[in-house]
Amino acid sequence: MAEKIGVYFDEASLGGALDLAALMDGVRAKWGATCPVVKSHPQLASDAGRAMIQADIDAGTIDGVCICGPSPRVDWDIYRFQGAQVERVNLREQCVLCYRDPDGVPGGDGTSPELLQKMAMDYVNMGVVKLQKSTPPGGGEIDVVRRVLVVGGGWTGLTAALDVAALGYDVILVEKQDYLGGAAAQMYKTIPLKPPYTKAEATGIEKKIAAVQENEKIQVLLNAQLVSLAGAPGQYTATIAVAGEERNEEIGSVVLATGWTPLDGSYLKPLGYGRLKNVVTAWEFESMAKAKAIVRKSDGAKPKKVLFVLGFGEMLAPFAQKEQEEAEAAAKAAQTKEADDTPKTNFVKQLTYKHLPFTSELTSLTALKQAGYVREQLPESAAIIVYEHMMVPGINELYYKAAQNDPGVMMTKGVVREVRDGGDGDVVVVLEDTLLGAKVEIEADMVVVPTGMVPTTALDPVLNLKYRQGPAFPDLQLFSGYADSNYICFPYETRRTGIYAAGAVRQPMGLALAETDAAGAALKAVQCLESANRGMAVHPRSGDLSFPKFNLLRCTQCKRCTEECPFGALDEDEKGNPMPNTSRCRRCGTCMGACPERVISFDNYNIDQIGSMIKQIEVPDDMAVGGPRFLILACENDAYPALDIAALQGKPWSPYVRIIPVRCLGSVNTIWIADAMSKGTDGCLLLGCKYGEDYQCHFVKGSELCNRRMANIGETLGKLGIETERVQQLQVAIDDYAIVPQLIDTFVNDIIKLGPNPFKGY
Amino acid sequence: MSKTVRIEPDVQFVKELQEVGGEDLKKCYQCATCSVACPMAPADNPYPRKEMIWAQWGLKDKLLNDIDIWLCHNCGTCSDLCPRGAKPGDLLAALRNMTYRKLVPPAIIGEWMSSPKHLPMLVGIPAVVFGIIWMIRASMVGSFFPVTEDGRIIYGNLFPGDFTIDPVFGLTAIFVLICFLVGIRNLIQGFQTTVKDTFVIGYKKPSIKEAIVDAIKYEVLQHTRFKECIDEPADEERVKGHLLLFYGFVACFIVTSIVAVAHWGGKIIPFLAPIGHTPMPLWSPVKILANVGAVLLLVGLTLLTRRRLNLDRRKSRSNYYDWYLLGVIWAVTLTGIGSEVFRLAGVAPVAFFTYYLHLISIFMLIAYLPWSKLGHLVYRTTALIYARYVGRLPIGEKLIEDEKVFVI
Repeated sequence: MAEKIGVYFDEASLGGALDLAALMDGVRAKWGATCPVVKSHPQLASDAGRAMIQADIDAGTIDGVCICGPSPRVDWDIYRFQGAQVERVNLREQCVLCYRDPDGVPGGDGTSPELLQKMAMDYVNMGVVKLQKSTPPGGGEIDVVRRVLVVGGGWTGLTAALDVAALGYDVILVEKQDYLGGAAAQMYKTIPLKPPYTKAEATGIEKKIAAVQENEKIQVLLNAQLVSLAGAPGQYTATIAVAGEERNEEIGSVVLATGWTPLDGSYLKPLGYGRLKNVVTAWEFESMAKAKAIVRKSDGAKPKKVLFVLGFGEMLAPFAQKEQEEAEAAAKAAQTKEADDTPKTNFVKQLTYKHLPFTSELTSLTALKQAGYVREQLPESAAIIVYEHMMVPGINELYYKAAQNDPGVMMTKGVVREVRDGGDGDVVVVLEDTLLGAKVEIEADMVVVPTGMVPTTALDPVLNLKYRQGPAFPDLQLFSGYADSNYICFPYETRRTGIYAAGAVRQPMGLALAETDAAGAALKAVQCLESANRGMAVHPRSGDLSFPKFNLLRCTQCKRCTEECPFGALDEDEKGNPMPNTSRCRRCGTCMGACPERVISFDNYNIDQIGSMIKQIEVPDDMAVGGPRFLILACENDAYPALDIAALQGKPWSPYVRIIPVRCLGSVNTIWIADAMSKGTDGCLLLGCKYGEDYQCHFVKGSELCNRRMANIGETLGKLGIETERVQQLQVAIDDYAIVPQLIDTFVNDIIKLGPNPFKGY
Repeated sequence: MSKTVRIEPDVQFVKELQEVGGEDLKKCYQCATCSVACPMAPADNPYPRKEMIWAQWGLKDKLLNDIDIWLCHNCGTCSDLCPRGAKPGDLLAALRNMTYRKLVPPAIIGEWMSSPKHLPMLVGIPAVVFGIIWMIRASMVGSFFPVTEDGRIIYGNLFPGDFTIDPVFGLTAIFVLICFLVGIRNLIQGFQTTVKDTFVIGYKKPSIKEAIVDAIKYEVLQHTRFKECIDEPADEERVKGHLLLFYGFVACFIVTSIVAVAHWGGKIIPFLAPIGHTPMPLWSPVKILANVGAVLLLVGLTLLTRRRLNLDRRKSRSNYYDWYLLGVIWAVTLTGIGSEVFRLAGVAPVAFFTYYLHLISIFMLIAYLPWSKLGHLVYRTTALIYARYVGRLPIGEKLIEDEKVFVI
């Protein structure tokens, strides 16, 4: 709690747009002894400016620094001081630059308009209060086990184990089979891994296996399965069954590299698989090539023409229809038994045809590779590739070119209409829309159909987490079972902190990509250990020392926090009290937003703090005289930067709004809305990330949960006679800066039409 | 269109095509830039995109019966613009080469003509034939390099037309003629399997006679479409060179015809005989025409050879068929001029040897004609006539005015 606060104005960034002397007088008048220092400086973000502030701190005059100048998103490295907390008041972007007269005319004749002055005063007051209600975070340090568990001994797992060991950490590598190498060890060759990227090559998996076996830091457990994983990052206990015998291992973090299994053959029946003897899957063909025995199953003869099918025409449509019907039926069933207790498991098996199209890129490359096998092992035979989409992104274009150059590899785009018996074991494939012109049919001696890569996480919880929310990763149906995330910037991040997915369990991928994936996950696993030990958040608020604190005396065991935490950070005791696991936590504050009793808080971010800030907004009693007032709670990850950019680009908005950044809309507690509405604020706008199937929320569920809570508060408002339109949530991405001012203005104008908040003046 | 066509890929044929000049055909990825860029391709079912994929699959029947390969005059615009360097222009040339090789029996000659390794055989046949004649005649006249009493060189004294040159070339000509007739029949039969009659609104189907007259008038005599096939200055040079060469040949053909008609006709109508009497004096109109023809050939050859030597090899490559024909015409022209010059200079051994070489090169030009690139003289003409007849090409001077042609 900062008690003596220094308020500093940066003249350089406020550029004479504000009457700083009047503001400083305002601060002194309002806060008196609370703010013993109120100063302005021609260029605060300079050595001289810093020295001035540090001197005030060192003299013991102040213990809190309130910087009034540019957005907190800039110069954050300059405004860091020993011995005092810092708060930034964004007067440049979100006060001066965004300011527009209510009649639409930009600000006056060199003097500061009254409305702008009022806005600045509100923001400064909010900054002071925020500091008052803030204490320096810390104290979350834990002892960590510097050992990483790598689950899966295939290409990705081996690579990750070597990478982690190379960074100086111990590794336990758990492999289900009695050999290392996984799928890569079953392959004859791989698509090119090195320049000139034109030839299939040996995988080199033996070298990786040997390197792992020789490495003293890596302990390999074969015939081993993870029975369960309990605890939290830095302090996990993994129960591993080795050849049936269970043992416990202390580990710090996990790389999940359990890979994939081939999709069930029933999905390939329309392509002839299972119906015709000489139709094989690409994965079966790989084994044939490895055994140097590319022969027909029907008669053992060497095929003269091998046709590779890439694409399914309409053949997957029946599966899609069936799955849709099942999903609808399941949704209906779920509605009828809503009152049911919480499910015992969060694992939902993902059996779907979609794994086939999801593997398209790899099936394209595999067909090119296997066409090469035909040419290599049967030089007189032709390999025919019929594709709907030849997907060879990036450098693999070179491989496609090289394969195309072989006179014995023939390719055409085409849609497969029929696969039928041609007699004598031959297979006739009928194609439409080909580059060859009309509808054509080709008689082949052997047909190879694609293998869909099903992630192991689609079929099994795999890690068997001992978490309150269940043993598996949540919401994997969004990714058809792949342990993937929507984070384009953080691909390895699962919904469970400390567990990093890599390789084909995350996405169908080849060896080259899996190798970089493994390296990324390995680095994340290490970063996790080196953050947990310091009590820091790993991601995405990397380095954040704050964490939620629970005042359990007032807890009513409603379980909302434990259920809603997007990351399963909270377990429960028998009574239903939340049991925090700080190192699992990402500090989003979703628990704080959820709690109806408001017993959850962060040292530097809490209910009282934001509530008090809202109370600092001066709301005129008469809207017709002083204008309306609106509160915007903006997600600091996307919406808040979007507002900064809009202001910097000269796109102003209504001068009646006051913006408060929040960690995530998930942290917005409905009491804040109630606070704002009860003091006469005319409307509340919540700006957060996109939610739903293709969510963009940094905390996955935050904006979605907020939306649900706002629906609930809408009902309450309705009962009080307040129009529900006064509280709205909008989805804003960081690149929506061009439209966000318009969104604000539309909201403001709509509410002005409704008239003033009936609670005004109470 | 709903009829299903069975496709038989043929690796061997792909390889053969690559050998005769289509080595980059596999690089095509079917973007169709070539068909769009081609200034000549008809709007309906244009070439050469479709030929590219047929070639990649080795679809022999489609390719060898394809009329469109003869509509192309190989300006190379498609190859210039090809993003993959697949050289569609070279492929069409290779397909024409394939026709030279496969269309007419005996297959062995096609084989010999397809690769430089058989060149000694091709040179050897006339060399031996005329060598033997030379030996026999030399023993009869008592000298390998006989001159008249007044020191003049008369080639007819060593190689008399009546019973050495004319029978050899006469028989050869008849053989070639028969081969061409077979070729034309095969070609048309092939076209019939692939080219459907095109019904064009506002367009009256021509009679076969109209099609022939039209093709000769515009395509052969004026190179009308060929002239459209111009993309850069080097292409203009190519058209010019081809025209000069063509008229050079026409001149030489007229001269040869006059000599033959006068000589043999002279045996019935005696006053004709002197016109065909060789050697002719330099003032003779026939001789002047012959010399003009020689000059046309020289200039035409120079233009065409220079263009080929300057080709950007990344865009287009000359193949053996190109060089064989150019080489033989160079040989015919140079030995022809040489024979005249050395004869006039009176250097008997050199003159007779040059004339011997001239005979060999003429034989190589004529006897292998249906299997050489010069075969296009007949095949392309046939195709252009047929294309007009079935409506693939318009009649009259107007060329490709797509917007006015409605194809159903």
